[in-house]
Amino acid sequence: MKQWPLVLLGFVAIAAWPLLTDDVFLQRLGALVLLAAISASAWNLIGGYAGQVSIGHSVYFGAGAYASLVLYTQLGWPPIAGAPVGMLVAMALAAVVGTPTFRLRGHYFSMATIAAAELARILVANWKLLGAAVGLMGPPVPRSVVDLSFISPVPYHYLFLAVLVVLLGLTWQMQRSRMGYYLAAIRGGDRAARSLGVPVLRYKLYALLLSAAFTSLAGSLYVVMVGFIDPDSALGILISVKMVIVAALGGSGTLFGPLIGAIILVPLEETTNAVFGGSGTGVTYIVYGAIIVLIARFRPGGVADLWRSITVRMARRAA
Amino acid sequence: MLLEARGIIMAFGAFRAVDGADLDVAEGEIIGLIGPNGAGKSTFFNCLAGDAQPTAGTIRFRGQDVTRATPEAHARLGMARSFQVPVTFEDMTVAQNVMVGAFLRHGHRAAARRVADEVLAFTGLDQLADTPARSLGTPGRKRLEIARALATEPQLLLLDEALAGLTPAEVRLAIALVRRIKARGITIVIVEHIMEVILSLAERAVVFHQGKVIAAGAPRAVVDDPAVVTAYLGHHMKRVRRGGVG
Ligand SMILES: Nc1ncnc2c1ncn2[C@@H]1O[C@H](COP(=O)(O)OP(=O)(O)O)[C@@H](O)[C@H]1O
Ligand SMILES: [Mg+2]
Repeated sequence: MKQWPLVLLGFVAIAAWPLLTDDVFLQRLGALVLLAAISASAWNLIGGYAGQVSIGHSVYFGAGAYASLVLYTQLGWPPIAGAPVGMLVAMALAAVVGTPTFRLRGHYFSMATIAAAELARILVANWKLLGAAVGLMGPPVPRSVVDLSFISPVPYHYLFLAVLVVLLGLTWQMQRSRMGYYLAAIRGGDRAARSLGVPVLRYKLYALLLSAAFTSLAGSLYVVMVGFIDPDSALGILISVKMVIVAALGGSGTLFGPLIGAIILVPLEETTNAVFGGSGTGVTYIVYGAIIVLIARFRPGGVADLWRSITVRMARRAA
Repeated sequence: MLLEARGIIMAFGAFRAVDGADLDVAEGEIIGLIGPNGAGKSTFFNCLAGDAQPTAGTIRFRGQDVTRATPEAHARLGMARSFQVPVTFEDMTVAQNVMVGAFLRHGHRAAARRVADEVLAFTGLDQLADTPARSLGTPGRKRLEIARALATEPQLLLLDEALAGLTPAEVRLAIALVRRIKARGITIVIVEHIMEVILSLAERAVVFHQGKVIAAGAPRAVVDDPAVVTAYLGHHMKRVRRGGVG
């Protein structure tokens, strides 16, 4: 990749962000961008690289969020300690959801994932242990530093950045390996991939397991920062839709697409929320809907693709 | 026998696209599969390659019963194919497409790349290695499908109309490529409409008509078989005989 200096510069800027401002709104914005980038990058493994557009990833996000808080409310664990448990639960759920749905094609697959996610939301909304419709609360005051309960968003910024770097590093490795090629082949067409010996169902499942684990980790990180969840904020369909939009906006199936998408979408969303009051309102749906239409109409490859064609054109002009 | 297909039936509802077809393929030969459009050739290929499960019949490949085996198991065992309508991986470059095939027997990227480079040179695609597959025309795509299949290091290659839609000059290049593939020791079954191709390439021809094998043998003899002439070749035959063979 010729763009490594640019990538490095980008990460230095992201790392410096919370130090450049005292404004808590802006600091918090940085952490939220990174969190959205983590979950969209996790979604990207199955939705982008393998081309299996899941719109039910809230299940895995919710697995992480709920595992973290139910282990706190029941056993008094620090919420972050529930993260590995959430990841295992998410992977088990992925195997259960993936095995039957991967035989479905295109829109049918997407619709099946929505159905599974809505089922999970309704189940949890009626499940006493998980707080039912009211939800669960984290530690009201930090018992120790392990609770990772900070007033300032800055520690979260660095925690999320570390996780994102690990995830993108893994994704980069994956992309260059046999698995990366096999996922691209699956995206190109099951039938041709199988004729070349690609075990399609197995690789879809690998991608989904990895994707579910990191989406769940994003859910745990979310509750560690926010300290409260209910069925809508951890399992609502907007969670799933947002992952898809963030990845598609930046460029799904590319390494940095989800991060770019998060850098664009999250500030837009947070400012509209600040102006119109409250998240999850009609405005969110309107913003999401408008972005879907714009991507579908003008740039199915997202911003990464736009960037690529601009650099190609500039290189041509320079030559 | 490398491949033995016995009594293959493929029914879609009441309609039998393949209706009791047999085929024996010996190691090292080139077999031409001919027959009019809709005769069931592609459907038969799908059965052989594990892409469709035949309604009845058995298929043995390298001594193993593969009748119900998946396409990926066929590939692992050494059977590769091209599709009548090429399906290349559009987001990838030509070289990356070929690497997907090479990864079947080489887990490491560098090794897969080496195999891919060798196959690209062999198929004359080396100049296009870094071109996006989506920018190829039909002849390029057909060649890429062959290259990708070769990268799986097969023993048997099934080519479904790999030469259809090519110009005469491209056909000559493709014929030369098929000969070189055979020289590598790879057995080939090729579906082809152009009689000249079958006559110049194949050692044996098998004629399909309405899902059945109606003639088999030396291409010359098959072409002259009255049953074949009436069932299929008709006026096209006469043109071939008058025009001679390329
Ligand atoms: N999936 C299918 N469902 C129903 N009919 C099919 C299907 N696939 C092929 N056929 C029919 O089977 C017959 C044989 O088709 P095909 O194998 O493509 O012939 P060929 O390759 O010899 O031109 C055709 O009449 C075709 O319409
Ligand atoms: Mg056909």
